[in-house]
This record gives sequence, C-alpha cells and structure tokens, in this order.
Amino acid sequence: MKPGHELLIVDDNPADTALAREALAECAYRGQISSVGDGVEALAFLTRRGKYVHAIKPDLVILDLNLPKRDGLAVLTAMKANPDLRKIPVVIFSTSQLPQDIARSYELGANCYVSKPGNLTEFFSMMKSIEGFWFGSVSLPPRGE
Amino acid sequence: MNTNDVDILLVDDSPDDVDLTLHALRAENLANRVFVARDGEEALDFLFCLGTHANRSFERPPKLVLLDLKLPKVDGLQVLKKVKGDTRTRNLCVVLMTSSREERDMVCGYELGANSYLQKPVDFDEFRKMVKTAGLYWLLINRPPVVKRAQQAAGQAK
Amino acid sequence: MSSAATQLETQSSVQPKPKLRTLMVEDNQLDAQLVLRALRKIDCEVSAVVVQDEAAFIRALRTQTPDVVLADYNLPNWKGMEALSVLRREGLDIPMILVSGALGDVTAVECIRQGATDYVLKDGLARLPEVVRRALREKYERGLRHKAEQDLAKKAEELTRSNADLEQFAYIASHDLQEPLRMVATYTQLLSERYRGKLDENADKFIGYASEGALRMQVLIQDLLAFSRVGKQDTCASVDCNDVMKEVRQTLSPALLESGGVITYASLPRVWANGTQVAQLFQNLVGNAIKFRGTEPLEISVSAESEDVRWLFSVTDNGIGIAPEYAENIFVVFQRLHTRSEYPGNGIGLAICKKIVQRYGGNIWVESHAGAGSTFKFTLPALRPDAPGKARK
Repeated sequence: MKPGHELLIVDDNPADTALAREALAECAYRGQISSVGDGVEALAFLTRRGKYVHAIKPDLVILDLNLPKRDGLAVLTAMKANPDLRKIPVVIFSTSQLPQDIARSYELGANCYVSKPGNLTEFFSMMKSIEGFWFGSVSLPPRGE
Repeated sequence: MNTNDVDILLVDDSPDDVDLTLHALRAENLANRVFVARDGEEALDFLFCLGTHANRSFERPPKLVLLDLKLPKVDGLQVLKKVKGDTRTRNLCVVLMTSSREERDMVCGYELGANSYLQKPVDFDEFRKMVKTAGLYWLLINRPPVVKRAQQAAGQAK
Repeated sequence: MSSAATQLETQSSVQPKPKLRTLMVEDNQLDAQLVLRALRKIDCEVSAVVVQDEAAFIRALRTQTPDVVLADYNLPNWKGMEALSVLRREGLDIPMILVSGALGDVTAVECIRQGATDYVLKDGLARLPEVVRRALREKYERGLRHKAEQDLAKKAEELTRSNADLEQFAYIASHDLQEPLRMVATYTQLLSERYRGKLDENADKFIGYASEGALRMQVLIQDLLAFSRVGKQDTCASVDCNDVMKEVRQTLSPALLESGGVITYASLPRVWANGTQVAQLFQNLVGNAIKFRGTEPLEISVSAESEDVRWLFSVTDNGIGIAPEYAENIFVVFQRLHTRSEYPGNGIGLAICKKIVQRYGGNIWVESHAGAGSTFKFTLPALRPDAPGKARK
C-alpha cells in the first residue's frame, strides 16, 4: 500500500461512497480517494475538464452501474475508447447480479465485476479485498501517459 | 480432470514457478481444478477448444487465466492478443503474471486488454502471498462473465 | 349469428314467427314452389330468392344474407355444388342443402364430403323441414362453441397477463426495496460497531433492534424474490438429483458441521425440471431438517421411489417433528410454528417448495408427529423416454 495512489469512486449513492471510504480507512489505505456521483461528472473528472482541470488521473476506478445522466456502462465505453484512459483498470461494483449486466460489463472492457454485498461485514471485506489486490499485488499501469 | 470444469488455466513454462503457484493455490483450497499449459500454443488450443482440447466447450471457460509472458512456441502477449481479439474468448479474465520488469510489457499488456498485471516477486513468501491474493480475488470475489453450470437460470435463486 | 338460427332455438309461443330466409338455386319453377311449400311446415315466415347461375347467386348473397341455401345438383347454366365454393370464397358459414332428383348414394356421399350440409331428394321433400332445422341448429351450436372458445382464450390471456404482472410486481418490489434497505442495514450495523458503549445504554439497545429488524427484512425480501421467481425460469433439463444433493451438502456444510448432522441418500434418479429450482427445493427441505433438529444426533435421509411418470421423493429427519394439525399450515407463506427466538426464519421456505413442486404438477406433504421426526414427501416428473438429457424450452 504505497502512499500516493489515486482512487476514483463513481457511485450515485453517497451512503455507499461513505461506506467505501470507511472500509478503506480501516485497511490503512493511504492514497487519495476522489468520488463523483454520476456518469457525466465521472468523465469530466477523468478528462480533467471544467472544475476538474486539476484532477489527477486515477490508478483505479471503482464504478457503479446505475448512475444518473450517463450510466456506468456508458462511462466504461467512453473510457475504453479514449487512449488516455483505456488502460486504467475498472472494477465494476454494483448491486446488480444479473448475468446480462455482468456479461455486458466484461464485453465493454471492465477488468472485473464485484457484487455489492448487502451487509456491513461483507461490504467491508469486499472493499478490503479490492484494495488488497489492486493496490497491493497488481502492477498498475503508469499514470503519466 | 474434466477440462470443461477448470477454474484456473495456468500458463507457465517454468516448472519451479508452476510448483510454487500450485502450492500457494493448494493452501487456499483453490488448486483442485487447475490446468497447466506449458506453452502458448497449448494455452491457445485449450482456450479455443482445438487439437487435443477439441472436446472442450466455449460455454465452460476457466474462471481465471494466469498467463506468463515468456513462453515457448507462442508468447504471452500473442496469446493475450488472440484471446482478447476473439468474441468467443474476449470476456475471459486473463491475469498476466510475469517475472518481466519491463514497463513496456506492462503497458502492452494493459493495452491488449489484460484484466490485470502481476509481477512475480523474487521472494518465495511474497510470491505465494501474491498467488493467494490473486486466486482468492478472481475465484471468490470476482463475478466471472459466464455461468458455468448446466442449469443456466436467469437469476440464481438462493 | 343468423337470426333464424337463434330464433329457432330460442323460440317460444308468444314470439312472432321467426323469419327464414332461403336462397334457392333452382331452374324449375314448380320444384321451387314445392320446396317452399314443404318448408312451411317449419313454422316460420319463409322467404325465398331463386337464382339459376353464379352471378345471380353472388348478387343475391350480397343483397341479403340467407339463413340457408337450397341447391339443385344439376342446372343448365351451373352446378349446385359450385354454390359451396362461392360461399367459401365469400367467407360465409351458411348451411347448403342439396335438393335434387335421384343422386345416387356415391355422389350424395361425395357431396357431403365436399361440404354440403345435407341432401334431400325431390320426391322426399317431407324430410326437408327437419333437415333444415338440424342444419340451423348445428350452426347455432357451432356459434356457441366458437364464442365459448374465444371467451376461454381471452380469460386465459388475461390470467397469464395478470400472473405476469403479479410476478413482475413482486420482483420489482423486492428488487427495488433492497437498495434502501441495504443502506439501513449497513449503517445500523456500522453505528452498532462504532458507537457501542459510547452512547447511553438505551442507544445500544435501540440500535440493536433497528439493526436486527433491517437484517430480518433483508432476508424476507430475498425470500420473497425467490418465491416470485419460481416459474420465471422455464428451461427444463435432465437433472441428476445426486449432483443436486452433492451441491446442497456443500452449500449447507457449515450448518451441517455445526449440527453434527449426517445426510444419507441412496442412488437418486434423474428428473425433468429446472435445475436451480430442484436445488432450491432440496436445499430448503434439508436446511429445515438441520434447523429443526432434536436432541438426538441428527440424521437426514433422502430417497426416491418410482411412480412411473413421476418420482416420489422422501426427505426424512429425526428432528422435533410437526403436530398433524399443522401439517397443511406449514406450507403457507409466512406461517411459522415457533417464535423467532426459538427458531430463526420467516416461514417462506416451505411455501417456495410447494410452489416449485406444483409448477411441475406435483404434490408435497409431510408425514410427522410432534417429537417423532418428519418425512417430507414430494413428486417430480421423471425423464421422458423421448428426450434423454436434452434441454428444452
């Protein structure tokens, strides 16, 4: 867990984002956490437009599917179509367990798909596993491209 | 082992690394359904249901492919390119696991659509820990794209 | 429906005489008059239009629809049987009776085969009224039957739609309810963990109750979802119940270990059903056996016997048993026999089992006495000999 990691959480539910932050704090994640609440904001952040002109490109995006304005799959598609963004790993983190949502996410280039659990213990443990794998084991693509 | 019932396809030509990986997976009870391919060609035969693996089905893919880069016959990046370039295999979870420290390899890997990229640690314990974390993550936490069982029902009722 | 046909059937003595409109295909005036006279016995106001060729026939049809067509077999400019083709072309369901000189049995039978309603010989016109009556009655009954079929089809369609709506409602309600419920559940749990002992003692208790309620609601909604989903999955296949039991054993292994229970099953058959539903069925029953165990070491056994097109399964345990007066009750949604502090659960497991079994036209029941263990019995379809192992929709 190197300090200096950048994580972007895209979720329209502030309660879930807050919970994610709590979980990450518990596993001593020392990097930055940015969060946005809809797909349009997400893409503005990632492309550093408007109020996000000083945003730092994240090392990892945790992406919910059900978002207002532009949904998760639209964000994913836009990311994978953008050479500047397409290498950023995307973890779909959604309550949906529908096979078609899962399949579609992979088709559009999601790196993995994690179901949002319904209770606290599992939620925390899930977030910790995500943090442990992506920021602990994985070699993340260099940011400055 | 029924090659249609494989959880992990491990593609690695180094016998030591294969042993270590299997050992680490076994410790987490994840080694029951691991198939080892020693070169890129066999990996492709396995995933594309060809040659000695013609009896395999595209409907029963492995949940995870651990793919080394330096392989005889066909190298890892070629395998990755073929897998991610074909609609039948594009959704597979392919995790590159290599001793290469070349940033170029990593960038290439992600460009080609690798689901993640792991650099094999030199230290035995670190290696085992990494395999354990990866195994648990991709087999237990991650939801793979295809429902494997014969009973394909829309929405699994508990 | 022809008014004459209806009127003939619903005739009462106070009603005015019904009208019988006939269309005759006849070139001989005298014959036509004889036929009309014979028809007067029907006790109707008989009117007739007489034509000799196809053009006139079609014109007459279009001017006023007759109740019955009476046609001579052989005319100088036309054939009586051609009238049948015209009727068919115009899409008219009007009985056609051949009124003819000597026809010969073979020809007569052939005409009827081709669609003529009946035939009457010109020197046997006394039969004509009865023949016409019968023809009109048959048409009336055909009409009734058709309407009944239409009504039935409509009702069936309404029922299907209503069922689909209900299932969709249950699905959406459960599905959409889960989201806000998840927030309540996770945050009450978080509150409970972070603030235990830090607020006053009532706070801990209150938060505990809220948390418990939320968790229970979650399980309830998931069970409701499962209940509403039964019937949504329509793909049936050959399901090996031994594989199912293996899976159930694995899923329930933590509970099994904890209870020290032993499951035995003899070589179980294959059934023709949806695999997920069969798994759920077995899992609910075995899960219950584990939950409602007694003081003796838990033993569960699963067996099956053939009933030709069905298999009769038995799941037997040596648990606390069920008093016979509750034997039917337990299959009702949300019916429970014990308090929540005695045994957890919300009483939907057996309702789901029943819904699944009934979906395949089977039955489920329990044979038990309090304190003497229980045997749950249910039937599932056997494999059909024509479809071995092939999945069909």
